[in-house]
Amino acid sequence: MLLWLLALPLPALASLDKTLGVAPALLAKYSPPKSGAWKCLDGSKEIPWDFVNDDACDCPDGSDEPGTSACPNSTFYCQNAGHIGATIPSSRVNDGLCEPECCDGSDERPGVCKNACKEIGEEYRKKRDAERKIQKTGAKIRSSYIAFAHKEKKRLEALVESTTAEIAVREIEVARLRDIADRTESLSAAALEHKQQSPLYISLTTHASALKALQREHKKHLEREQQLGDILDALRKGYNPNYQDMAVLEAVRGWEFLAGLPHIGVEEDAQAAEAGEVAKKEEEAVEEKKEDEEDDDEEWTAEDLSTGLDDLLNTDYVSLLLAHDDHVQTPPPSSLFNVRSYLPDSLIPQYEGLRETLLSWLEVVGIAGSDAEKSTDSSKARQAFNDAEAALNRVKKDKKTAEEDLDEIFNVQGFGAEGEWKKLDGSCLALDTGEYTYEVCMFEEAKQKPNKGGTTFNLGKFSSWNPSPDVKPGDPAYYEKQIYNGGTQCWNGPQRSVALVLKCGTENAIHTVAELEKCEYQFTGTSPALCLPLDANGNGNGREEL
Amino acid sequence: MQPWTLVGVLSLLLAVPDALAVKSHDFKTCSQAGFCRRGRALSARAAETKAWKSPYSVDVSSIAITPDKAVFTAGVHSSLYPDIHFGLELRVHEDGVVRVRLDEVNGLRKRYDEAASWALIAEPKISQDITWTAGKKDIRAKYGNNEVVVAFEPLTVSLLRGGKPQVVLNGRGLLHMEHFRNKKVEETKTEEAAPAPEEGAEDAAEQVVLQAEAEPEVNPRAWFEGETEDDWWEERFSTWTDSKPKGPESLSIDISFPSHGTIYGIPQHATRLALPTTAGDSPTFTDPYRLYNADVFEYLASSPMSLYGSIPVLHAHSADSTVGIFHAVGSETWIDVSHASDKSTETHWISESGILDLFLMPGPTPADIFAQYSRLTGTPVLPPHWSLGYHQCRWNYISSEDIRTVQKRFDEEDMPVDVFWLDIEYADEHKYFMWDEKNFPDPVEMTNDVAANGRKMVVIVDPHLKRTSNYPAFQEASDRKVLVKQPNGEGEYEGWCWSGSSSWIDFFDPNSWDWWKGLFKTTALKSGWSWTSSTTDIHIWNDMNEPSVFNGPEISMPRDNIHYGGWEHRDVHNINGMLFSNLSSKAVQERTDPPQRPFVLTRSFFAGSQRFGAMWTGDNLGTWEHMAVGVQMVLANGIAGMSFAGSDVGGFFGNPEPEMLIRWYQVGIFNPFLRAHAHIDTKRREPFLLEQPYKGIVKDLLRLRYTMLPVWYTAFRETSVTGVPVLRPHYVVFPKDPKGFAVDDQYFIGASGILVKPITTKGATETTVYLAEDEVYYDYFSHHVYRGAAKGKEISVKAELHQVPVFVRGGSIVPTRERPRRSSPLMKLDPFTLRVALSKAGSARGELYLDDGVTYSHEKGQFVWREFTAQTAKKTVRITTKDLGAEKKEEAVDGVALASYNPTNVYAETIKDVRVEKIVVEGLSGKPASVKVEGGKELVWEYAPGIAAGGKGEGVAGVLTIKDPKVLVVKDWTIVIQL
Repeated sequence: MLLWLLALPLPALASLDKTLGVAPALLAKYSPPKSGAWKCLDGSKEIPWDFVNDDACDCPDGSDEPGTSACPNSTFYCQNAGHIGATIPSSRVNDGLCEPECCDGSDERPGVCKNACKEIGEEYRKKRDAERKIQKTGAKIRSSYIAFAHKEKKRLEALVESTTAEIAVREIEVARLRDIADRTESLSAAALEHKQQSPLYISLTTHASALKALQREHKKHLEREQQLGDILDALRKGYNPNYQDMAVLEAVRGWEFLAGLPHIGVEEDAQAAEAGEVAKKEEEAVEEKKEDEEDDDEEWTAEDLSTGLDDLLNTDYVSLLLAHDDHVQTPPPSSLFNVRSYLPDSLIPQYEGLRETLLSWLEVVGIAGSDAEKSTDSSKARQAFNDAEAALNRVKKDKKTAEEDLDEIFNVQGFGAEGEWKKLDGSCLALDTGEYTYEVCMFEEAKQKPNKGGTTFNLGKFSSWNPSPDVKPGDPAYYEKQIYNGGTQCWNGPQRSVALVLKCGTENAIHTVAELEKCEYQFTGTSPALCLPLDANGNGNGREEL
Repeated sequence: MQPWTLVGVLSLLLAVPDALAVKSHDFKTCSQAGFCRRGRALSARAAETKAWKSPYSVDVSSIAITPDKAVFTAGVHSSLYPDIHFGLELRVHEDGVVRVRLDEVNGLRKRYDEAASWALIAEPKISQDITWTAGKKDIRAKYGNNEVVVAFEPLTVSLLRGGKPQVVLNGRGLLHMEHFRNKKVEETKTEEAAPAPEEGAEDAAEQVVLQAEAEPEVNPRAWFEGETEDDWWEERFSTWTDSKPKGPESLSIDISFPSHGTIYGIPQHATRLALPTTAGDSPTFTDPYRLYNADVFEYLASSPMSLYGSIPVLHAHSADSTVGIFHAVGSETWIDVSHASDKSTETHWISESGILDLFLMPGPTPADIFAQYSRLTGTPVLPPHWSLGYHQCRWNYISSEDIRTVQKRFDEEDMPVDVFWLDIEYADEHKYFMWDEKNFPDPVEMTNDVAANGRKMVVIVDPHLKRTSNYPAFQEASDRKVLVKQPNGEGEYEGWCWSGSSSWIDFFDPNSWDWWKGLFKTTALKSGWSWTSSTTDIHIWNDMNEPSVFNGPEISMPRDNIHYGGWEHRDVHNINGMLFSNLSSKAVQERTDPPQRPFVLTRSFFAGSQRFGAMWTGDNLGTWEHMAVGVQMVLANGIAGMSFAGSDVGGFFGNPEPEMLIRWYQVGIFNPFLRAHAHIDTKRREPFLLEQPYKGIVKDLLRLRYTMLPVWYTAFRETSVTGVPVLRPHYVVFPKDPKGFAVDDQYFIGASGILVKPITTKGATETTVYLAEDEVYYDYFSHHVYRGAAKGKEISVKAELHQVPVFVRGGSIVPTRERPRRSSPLMKLDPFTLRVALSKAGSARGELYLDDGVTYSHEKGQFVWREFTAQTAKKTVRITTKDLGAEKKEEAVDGVALASYNPTNVYAETIKDVRVEKIVVEGLSGKPASVKVEGGKELVWEYAPGIAAGGKGEGVAGVLTIKDPKVLVVKDWTIVIQL
């Protein structure tokens, strides 16, 4: 509403109250000086008392014009009797607009704005009461969250305790097994070294390292392919078909062909039908392919690769080498020790005699027979030790996680000083905006899921609470914002990220999602975790508005 | 570093692609345009031939002079085609402008001759006292110091001043009007082998070969027209074929300026103000300047390529005089520029179609040229006052909540802003007018929330209409048959743009006009759809009106599309965009009764667009080069009439670092049109998002713009009456100083005496400023006195990031409003500050123009127009003011010679209490003995001693600050300073 003061005579200004616009705390400084000279509040200049509020700026700090707009950077205080006083910038004084902050209308010349403090005050109180009600309900929920955190704390503490005890037991067991394994192995170390010269073993380890490298490269390529696919999907969905750029068009068509996608841009129904058909065809094709693959059981499937390769590479080759020896020594017997089968019957008696001698000799030298037994023992001992150590590490890890969780629960930068956020750890809030469903799993990650099929984009992993340098960790404002970042890279843009802006509410919910700039999302929502209990006076959140 | 900061930095790096560059293969070079190739080949043959002689001559027997002796007509023949008739007509206007028209007479078809009717405001008045004297070799008319001479054989037309040729047409014999002819199919001797003549898809080159084989005999016209029918009947570019049903019809004319070595104009090109050469010895550019309105994606910062708008007006300048020409041609035109010597300029104009319709403007001063051109095409409009404030734009503010939040943030930071903009994403499926109701559920309430602070909104309406029956704008246009037609003259042309399959309104069709204006009504209409979900606080942005067609040749419309009257698109292409924004402007104007001043921003423009609104330099890049060339382009557009111009602050593409953004705001606040805009892929960069100290610097810059709004508005009033541009390059202010002719990086704002040198380089801490005269110049901020020299002088000044070099020319009085407000309408009753910058002689002068800023009541005399003067005599400085409205009422308002003026008019009454709250006098010779309002008491004042304007040396000037003299702006008064 523009209210122009058209015909108010100038002299009204001449008689301005010298304390007009002065905040209560400063009132004492605006009294007629005895000397006749008034000092600007910053002490930089002395001016006649008449110059105060004379609608012409004299003090560099603007303090001589608390009640006018003459100085560019000063402020105006409106008393708002019946409501709460407010301070506005001097640029809003006498500009023809009645400021909502100044319900008493004192920011404009008399007669321009009516005093609406009664109505506004009432409205304000009504609104405040409603907010307090929400806050009260929310605070109850919040206290249940805090109780949860304490329970969780107890659970974790118990876990730490039990794991500590278990660790002690397991450590002893591990030490014992290590000792056995070491002793067994020290006996056979020289033999083992010799065995490891086996071309088979050397070849195996070479294969293993090659396979490891191949797996790494394969993974890299898979990731790259996924990224390229994402880029091409984004291009396909987002490109402007209008710009008739043949290179882009070809890329899109090529990708559609390669990925078996329907051509985008055709009528929706046709597209859907086509998509269905293509999908069906693809399924058939895949099945056929599968059958082909099953014929050849030597060849691993893609699934085998993704699940089985790690296990394969985790094989203990030394154990394998030893197991191999065992295998070789068990029937069918080795030709070396079963020479008899090659001998004509007539020669057998002589051979038996010789064999005894040979074997005992061999045993002395430590190659055959009893030594083979020993190496199996050593690998078994090592295996037992390894298993025990892994179990120990698992327990240790459990303990560490529990300890870390324990640290986070009441950490201001974690789940809050009172642990009020712990309850929400991992709980997911979603909002369906029509085209997409946006989801944030608290302290984990945010996602954008298309409702009509297509790629789900990772919008980022939890990174921090409000990172603004103006906000101190632990302040209520600190918990009003969460940052999720490092999401899927945008084509020709940044990695996707989310700022989740929350305020006190009785539910955990996302209310709005906006992409303020490309690939940077802002979610707004509510959570009871932000509803601080009302203080004794019934004041909300420790801050008073206005 | 916080993790999120790192992400920010990374995305910043990622968002700027390695090579931001124009796709030059999307646009033709001269050699790819048949008629330009033919025109340049003609020029090359002429240069190679010793005794080159134009085949065109006046048929002496046909000379006729109208009874009032004002108009001279004659038949013209070409010796190449004796049976073809051309008609020449010359008129001398009252103001000495000579109009030269040449058309084919009784040809097979008619050449397009309506370009002038769109550009001109009215049929110019013919001089009543011209006498044509026919001699044996020529016919001439002398008037004043000027003389126009038409030589018969060969035909040349010359404009002389004091006997010296100023403008010569066809002096180099390059005049060629390709007459209409039939395609010679029967001459092909290999009839059996040759494909049928109507075989449209046949390769043109192949046909040429066939003909060459068939006609081995020497072509007697080859010396002039060339050997081949080069692209006469069909033309290909990339995947498009232009059917060219009318065959060759191009027009070539050489225009020489034998006495002028510098030329300006023919915007819009990204280049220097003083146009570099394109022909002759080692030209700067190898292609001619091109005028063919085009949506050039990521255009080059230095190029003769065509851009979004075209104004075929050229100024030729020397220390002795300025002359100009305006060629009313709407088809694609290429212009070669060369200099045979330092003191002369030759140009060669090659147009695809249309008649020769040339206006020769005799000058002899730049101001005269502006007046002469304004009498033809009109003056720049006096814009609504608020539109001189700060415009905040982005592709896109995504919702009404987004707009409200942006407004809130500006207010929290107390940064002034007047207008919030919505780009194409507000519109459901890019159906302009139709709100995306999910994100803009309450457009009227949103606009009202913005208007509650005195602000406005600007919403985009593009010319492509989505072809869908649920879109009333398209459906009604289709029903009314006012859409551009296909090449066969039937149906509706369909092309692709933002909205997908689209059609374009044919604004050449008068049946479209009232209907289009009706769409913008905010109330329901009986006659059809209107924009009831809008308010009169919404103004309009017209983009893509070149027109931009994504799947069309050169991203535009096929040239063989058909417009109203059966004209081909090629005939009217450059005019097309202007009609769209002009009609939109009228639509916004006529929404209310009484009408209110519209604001319509257009990207495409033509001669005459200045009458309707503002333009901007289109989709610039966030580079220092683009920032610099933006200044030059705004100057060039200004001298061609488009004064209300600006370039996007920050650059449309890219993410400017804080230094660049601040420098761009410094450029922007000294552009007539101040808008920040950004591409959808960029990071948000509203000034409140900056960190300190950058945020504070930009806040100060925006506030500086607002304090100077009285200067801008006063300058616009003058421009709206005289046509002299708002931004005045050096040659306009100092036409006799050759050292300033090429200066295009500093300029004056109107007649205010404010001189600006924006910084457009990275890492600058100082710069040099050229002072062209022996006068003092005061630093606007520090009061430092610099002294120029009669021969011109460069001074060195500080230019740290927070400093923009701004000076007040000694002898100026500058009125400002120093109180910061949220928006300009809220300053309406604020008091003024006067800065009196004394000249060496101790005098100064300035003006202040005010009116209600939104209606047309000023045309009825409701305004305040004051003059302030300062004179020093006998140790007394008298600062006084008088009512210019009363003194020069007939010059006060554009287009209206007021018969009477009432100093207590309705507007003046609304500001009758508005006072001068401070007067600052710079350059006094010493501390005053007394300062009084004449007949009043001693005033309160302070004096800081310093340099005197009339003395010697440089340094901070002596500054007298008079506190609140309580003198009123609408009243006469005198302040007496006794030294």
